[in-house]
Amino acid sequence: MKRKLSLLLALVLVLSVFLAACGKTEEPADVGSDEPTETEAPEEGAKNPAKDREGADNTIIIGMTEAKGELMPVYYSTGYDGYVVDYMFDQLFTNDEAGEYIPHVAKEWEISDDKLTYTFHLRDDVKFADGTPLTAHDVEFTYLAMADPNYDGRYFAYVDGLVGYEEYAEGNAENLSGVVVHDDYTISFTFKEPRVANFTYCNMHIMPKHHYDFEKGDIEALKAKMRDPLGSGGYSFVHLEPGQYIELKANMDYFLGAPKIENLILKFTTAETYMAELEKGTIDVQNSVTNTVENKETMEAMGFVHLNAFPNNGYAYIGLNHSDPRLADKNVRQALVYGLDRQSFVTNFFKGHGQVCHVPLSPVSWAYTDTLAEKMNKYEYNPDKAVELLEEAGWKLGSDGIREKDGMKLKFVYSTYPDSEWVEQLIPVLIDNWGKIGVAIEINYMDFNALSDAVYEEHDFDMYNMAWSLTVDPDSYSVYHSSQTRKAGNNAVQFINEKNDQLLEAGRKEFDQEKRKEIYEEWALNINEELPYIYIYQREEWNMVNDRIKGFECSPFVDMSYPQVYLNMEIVK
Amino acid sequence: MLKYIGRRLLHLIPVILIISFLIFGIIKMTPGDPVGANLDPRSTAEQKAAERARLGLDKPVHIQYWNWLKRSIRGDFGNSYIYKVPVKDVIPGFIKNSFILNVFVYIFAFLISIPIGIITAVKQYSKTDNFWSAFSIIGISMPTFFFGLLLIYFFAVKMDLFPISGMMTVGSKATGLAKVKDTLHHMVLPGTVLIIGSLASLVRYTRTSMLEVINQDYIRTARSKGLEEKVVIYKHAFRNALIPIITIVGFMIPGLFSGAVMLETVFNWPGIGRRLIEAVNLRDYNLMMALNMFFAILTLLGNLLADIGYALVDPRIKVD
Repeated sequence: MKRKLSLLLALVLVLSVFLAACGKTEEPADVGSDEPTETEAPEEGAKNPAKDREGADNTIIIGMTEAKGELMPVYYSTGYDGYVVDYMFDQLFTNDEAGEYIPHVAKEWEISDDKLTYTFHLRDDVKFADGTPLTAHDVEFTYLAMADPNYDGRYFAYVDGLVGYEEYAEGNAENLSGVVVHDDYTISFTFKEPRVANFTYCNMHIMPKHHYDFEKGDIEALKAKMRDPLGSGGYSFVHLEPGQYIELKANMDYFLGAPKIENLILKFTTAETYMAELEKGTIDVQNSVTNTVENKETMEAMGFVHLNAFPNNGYAYIGLNHSDPRLADKNVRQALVYGLDRQSFVTNFFKGHGQVCHVPLSPVSWAYTDTLAEKMNKYEYNPDKAVELLEEAGWKLGSDGIREKDGMKLKFVYSTYPDSEWVEQLIPVLIDNWGKIGVAIEINYMDFNALSDAVYEEHDFDMYNMAWSLTVDPDSYSVYHSSQTRKAGNNAVQFINEKNDQLLEAGRKEFDQEKRKEIYEEWALNINEELPYIYIYQREEWNMVNDRIKGFECSPFVDMSYPQVYLNMEIVK
Repeated sequence: MLKYIGRRLLHLIPVILIISFLIFGIIKMTPGDPVGANLDPRSTAEQKAAERARLGLDKPVHIQYWNWLKRSIRGDFGNSYIYKVPVKDVIPGFIKNSFILNVFVYIFAFLISIPIGIITAVKQYSKTDNFWSAFSIIGISMPTFFFGLLLIYFFAVKMDLFPISGMMTVGSKATGLAKVKDTLHHMVLPGTVLIIGSLASLVRYTRTSMLEVINQDYIRTARSKGLEEKVVIYKHAFRNALIPIITIVGFMIPGLFSGAVMLETVFNWPGIGRRLIEAVNLRDYNLMMALNMFFAILTLLGNLLADIGYALVDPRIKVD
């Protein structure tokens, strides 16, 4: 084990040296005559090896982290299998760049006055890849699959709020009474309680009943089709080579028009070699490239690859244990933020490709209002202010340079996981910055799963760092509400605040978006004041795209597997 | 002999049981469980508890072990939490990929190292001997990932002779001979790394055992009879020197089916090594248990084969 660990460390070391060396030597050796243009396709003469690849004229190869082959909407669990499912299946509605919902298979919908029932009117021109029309019965079937007594996927939340769920999942009911098919192209969902989030639970990818049909309870028959997918999406399944790639083919009868690129291959790549693959032209696009300066320089030196950059939908934070009397003190929490130079850290680490995070909302979301940006405290680095706050709270400097009060010392155990570059760079900054205000930390490394266990199951930590991803809807009830402070809940930091609870509850029940904006603004300002976490950064997400591909433009809420992106992309010959 | 083999096989049963118990215990002692991997991270505490109960993880460890043992004896290794399909459907494809690469590597490693081992023994302390000693030491100390990346940089990116990664050209429709050729083409770089890494030990083994034989009295006798040096080396010495090498083959059998984590990561080879690491990281208990037990049984059988092989080729060893 020890040997493996040192090997791993050496790997990181040598790798960075090696990559850095590549970046430097490549420029004169390889590019020479090429002009390293970043945005425009190079003129004739600049060699673009991807163009010479066999069959390149009608095939795009996208590199991404390995998908596991869970090719079924109700069962996939990794984000990469999720991309594949997106390409192959359609949903009732989708969202635009600002996170607003827009029609897709459903051409329109309405909500009942009691806010419990959503009725969707489906288009009648959507067909599965085998030519069978998509109807409301297929939508109903998809929900019956998730409500099945033996269902063991991860999407319970889509069905357990529906009327009649218990009767179907635990009883003898033949149908879900909350899901009603009115005619072939009209379906309604009735929920037990009015919640804004219910709407998104109507949006599971639609599976064809005639292909996946099974007897109630015989979920194994459904799972047997895991690698035999049939959907209505813009691309349909051709072949999966486990651990290597997935091949898809354009659906020429797609109801939004056929994709312009006939073949789409998702090749599984790793961070060790994806830059080399881009350079050699064996992939046209690499999804989610680590945003380091080295990678960008390597890309620019190639001369035929450009960047598709946008803010990542998530944030990294340091969790503070509020049940610890030292950290329960708001002055201490605020002092820790004032006393940490987050801006310099983010600037040095991301070199302009990330920003300091202040509140747990995406800056591109409709909920991130201008007034919020203006009103929130940015906690700019101010060690004097930090010291002032600590003194005010009665924390006096001890003889060893660490502040103390009532026999307690501001010395914390900082739990974290190895092999994360930003953590490795943050730790010296924490030790240095906090040392200056009389706060000490001791680093405790464990593997990620062990850390999760200590944090969520045992609540055994002073501080730790992790990251959350953000959903299209700004609701963060499951992370910040006081009901989630129990064992295995997501509010592991034990953040309990009455105003916070009230606002989160109000936000879930309010259906008027303008009113929700106000609620989330107030909520975010309260979070900004109370500091359940120390928010560190929101980074950029990078896709690297060969210049021969046009129209590959993703944004925070629109992934590469959205029709808006894949119908738009084309190959420049 | 048959009686001996039968007795040895019977002895394996308690050993396997003890190993399985130990591995199971160690796995359960590591903090964390697969629920995190299977559920949405934002699931509620109730959903996590329900999932634990469904997977049987809420029961005491000895009951969980007993359940595992009962299932496994019937050949049911459970579902992989990562892949959502039975473990026995996940493993074979990846083991096959590792096996293909390893067979290629073993064949070349033996073909290259045995002649080198003989030459260096015959010409002990010569320039050739020193050269190969230095070469083996460099080969064995060269880190896989570094050497791998170096080869990729020069032979795949700069010279464009070989593919960067994977086991076949993506989207290739090739079948039969063309497919074999494509796979071989992809095997050259990762194969080279593994062959050079394994050369060192094989050359040393051959050299040492050859040296030992050359200094034996019967070789001196053969020489003093006036036999040609070639005949002495290849007919008398070599055949005897092979005995220890045959036993190495036995020890190497489990290696045929196992993967190389670093190499598979660098070359993106879809082998079993990365699956095991992934299973450990995501606490995929069923997959971890099945793989560890598979390797444990292979190692035990490999040892047994080595013993039997030794007994067969060396008449001085008696089994009973």
